[in-house]
Amino acid sequence: MAITPLSSPFFEKREVNSTPQNEEYAIFLKNISKTFPNGTVANQDVTLGILRGEVHAILGENGAGKTTLMRIISGILKPDKGEIFIDGKPVKIRDPRDASRLGIGMVHQHFTLIPEFTVRENIALVLATSPWLDLKKVDEKIAAVSKDMGLEIDPESKIESLPVGKRQLVEILRLLCQDVRILILDEPTSVLTPIEVDSFFKMIMNLKSSGKTVVLITHKMKEALQISDRITVLRGGRVIRTIPTSDANEALLASLVVEGMLPAPTLVRGTPGDIILKVESLKVKDDRGRIAVDGLNLTVRSGEIVGIAGVAGNGQKELVEAITGLRKVESGAVKLLSQDITNKPTRFIIEKGISYIPEDRMHRGVVLTMGVHENLALKCIEKPPMSKSKIIDRRSMVKNAESLISKFSIKASDPCTSVENLSGGNIQKLIVARELSNGGLVLIAEQPTAGLDIKASEAVHQKLVELRSMGVGILLVSSDLDEIMKLSDRICVIFGGKIVGEFMPENLDVERLSRLMLGAD
Amino acid sequence: MIEFLALTGLAAATLRVAAPLLLASLGETIAERGGMLNLGLQGAMLVGAFSGFMGAYFAGSLWIGLISAIIGGILTTLLFGILVINLDLDQVVSGLAINLLASGLTLYFTRVLFTGGVSPYLGELFGPMPIPFLCNMPVLGEVLFTQTGFVYLGLVSVPLIYVLLTKTSFGLRLRSIGEDPVIASYLGINVVKMRYAALLAEGILAGLAGGLLTISMFNTFDPRIVAARGFVAVSIVILGRWNPWGALAGSLLFGFTEALSLRIGIIFPELSGASINQLFALLPYLVALVALVVGGRGVRGPASLGKRIGRER
Ligand SMILES: Nc1ncnc2c1ncn2[C@@H]1O[C@H](COP(=O)(O)OP(=O)(O)OP(=O)(O)O)[C@@H](O)[C@H]1O
Ligand SMILES: [Mg+2]
Repeated sequence: MAITPLSSPFFEKREVNSTPQNEEYAIFLKNISKTFPNGTVANQDVTLGILRGEVHAILGENGAGKTTLMRIISGILKPDKGEIFIDGKPVKIRDPRDASRLGIGMVHQHFTLIPEFTVRENIALVLATSPWLDLKKVDEKIAAVSKDMGLEIDPESKIESLPVGKRQLVEILRLLCQDVRILILDEPTSVLTPIEVDSFFKMIMNLKSSGKTVVLITHKMKEALQISDRITVLRGGRVIRTIPTSDANEALLASLVVEGMLPAPTLVRGTPGDIILKVESLKVKDDRGRIAVDGLNLTVRSGEIVGIAGVAGNGQKELVEAITGLRKVESGAVKLLSQDITNKPTRFIIEKGISYIPEDRMHRGVVLTMGVHENLALKCIEKPPMSKSKIIDRRSMVKNAESLISKFSIKASDPCTSVENLSGGNIQKLIVARELSNGGLVLIAEQPTAGLDIKASEAVHQKLVELRSMGVGILLVSSDLDEIMKLSDRICVIFGGKIVGEFMPENLDVERLSRLMLGAD
Repeated sequence: MIEFLALTGLAAATLRVAAPLLLASLGETIAERGGMLNLGLQGAMLVGAFSGFMGAYFAGSLWIGLISAIIGGILTTLLFGILVINLDLDQVVSGLAINLLASGLTLYFTRVLFTGGVSPYLGELFGPMPIPFLCNMPVLGEVLFTQTGFVYLGLVSVPLIYVLLTKTSFGLRLRSIGEDPVIASYLGINVVKMRYAALLAEGILAGLAGGLLTISMFNTFDPRIVAARGFVAVSIVILGRWNPWGALAGSLLFGFTEALSLRIGIIFPELSGASINQLFALLPYLVALVALVVGGRGVRGPASLGKRIGRER
């Protein structure tokens, strides 16, 4: 697919100075190309300038090559071709240390904090220059930087005990402790709730006003329009266009990101039938042994999408884990049709017809080192046609993979490639494909479109609606309020482990909903 | 009085037989903290025992024996490094392969070099080195301060390695690799170099642990000399929860049961008898099994332990 860039960013109109002058660019990429050993072309002839002190948003569909390009800048991948200029000078970035010496730091699409370590240890890890660990100095640095940024983080807390929003802040904090000048943020907002996104953006504006350069990858047009100075769109590994944000709007961006984007059809409401999933006065403890779900009641009917709205950390995770058999139920019951599935093994629950799209896709959704075809067959491997008399039939696995790959437009070099070779969004598509195609009664969808581009999100939404019309009951847990409001037939607000409010979409009061989410009503 | 003397002797013997386990498990603790499950520890000890003996026998110097034991240990763990770090092969398979290689080679050379395949005895060995003044203390003098250099070295290494792992940048980096080598490399940590450094340390300690068997304890070499000490040391690491102090406690536990099984007849003469002695010789392994089942439950080691790095994510 040959795409000619509409204009080269080098000659693009810029706010700072209209004469092209290299030193103005914090980063300048010239003709960067990258092909992976398996033949996937991730970047082709990318030329892109990031001005000093700007917030530069990068948009592009799943697999467009955004992460690859950023990994090249931060020294994790080597380009096959092309040059990198930092502050106008040509540089070679061989490894992440080179990048950090140049003042470049990256927050990756998936967390790079060591969950077993404390905040302090995670930060000491990248600061450590002397042979002895000087934790006092690390603490001082953390205190100074957090004060500057208005962050409140306890250096003693273990990462695994922090909610995702906090972890994201720790990632940023760690970069700032390293005194980076250029921050590359790969989809930092896809795991954040709207409230968290707001404070996150405030922080980015702070960074900008203190003279830092920020490159921000996102799938949300609104975010790019809200926060950035300029926007670059990548498609098929090439730069399609770089435009000043003031010249952009959602429709234009959408048309640049995906070729021939169809306008989304208006969604119809469902016609709920009988109750299929019933949660009765459920009590569940979290990892630290505190009550996280506190006597919660909930029903899902067939042909109904029930949206769970709430700020992360109010028991959503534990509720879902209790339903799917991943976490012990202390008291109360979960019933599927008339059958009690409380504290039953996960395998049993899956077989009874509960499908699950997990939030933690890397750990719960896929086996990274196994092939796409194997991952797609994981939940039906025991049944024909995947296996015949307990012997796996590889050919039908591949056939199944091929059909799902084309049906869900998953970008994979071949059906048997290892899942770790897929881009973040394509891994999500794979999970969605598997869970939506195995014909369950109930689907638990946790952040089903996190990290998906607009086209893929739309496709997942269509698919959810399609399942609903087939009579599947769907429990949708999402931090994306827009998504909840768009799809749900009923919205339940969760706070402190309880459902504190319920809305029908026709009489939705967004203000009251937000207040309920914060427990202020 | 007799009983008391026997107990003092038992305590001293505990330390003596714990020494090889302690040195080896300390080495393995370092490697495992870096995410490498090195079952080849057994082989490294065997090579250390063999090369230590050969060095001492042919050069006629115990010190040369000591150095060649260390070199033998290092070469073996570095071979493990090539397999799992550079070639990214399965850790368990690589470790077991190294054990087979080590026992095959040492057996071969013993047969080739010595008539009848039986190694001769060394003229001298590293005996106890009483520490002046301290060795005159009652009880402690005999238990703690009249030991071989290997025992002292093992005991001194415990706090040193503890500090290395918890108080230095090296230790923090190594532990981060043990948790997730891919993330560590994203953070600019040189995973290859760090892992080799850890294996180097393990090689030295494993070489010493093996060498002490030939040049300080048994005075001769036999291809079965290490018995299962390498594997016991690996289980001590789990039992000790990847902590040097835990390794010390575990080694002492095993040392104690081994010393007890050797001395049971001295302490309780009425119990001695060939079949009973055989039964007691099993004691350390039984304790290993029970301790692992009881103490190893629910413990979580370094997250990447035993895993291949795989391709870049
Ligand atoms: N290590 C790898 N080996 C082989 N192919 C890879 C590897 N990493 C990425 N790819 C492929 O390169 C292409 C670009 O991937 P990249 O991760 O840069 O996409 P992206 O724009 O970040 O997408 P997303 O929005 O889904 O994160 C994809 O087709 C992906 O499958
Ligand atoms: Mg990406």
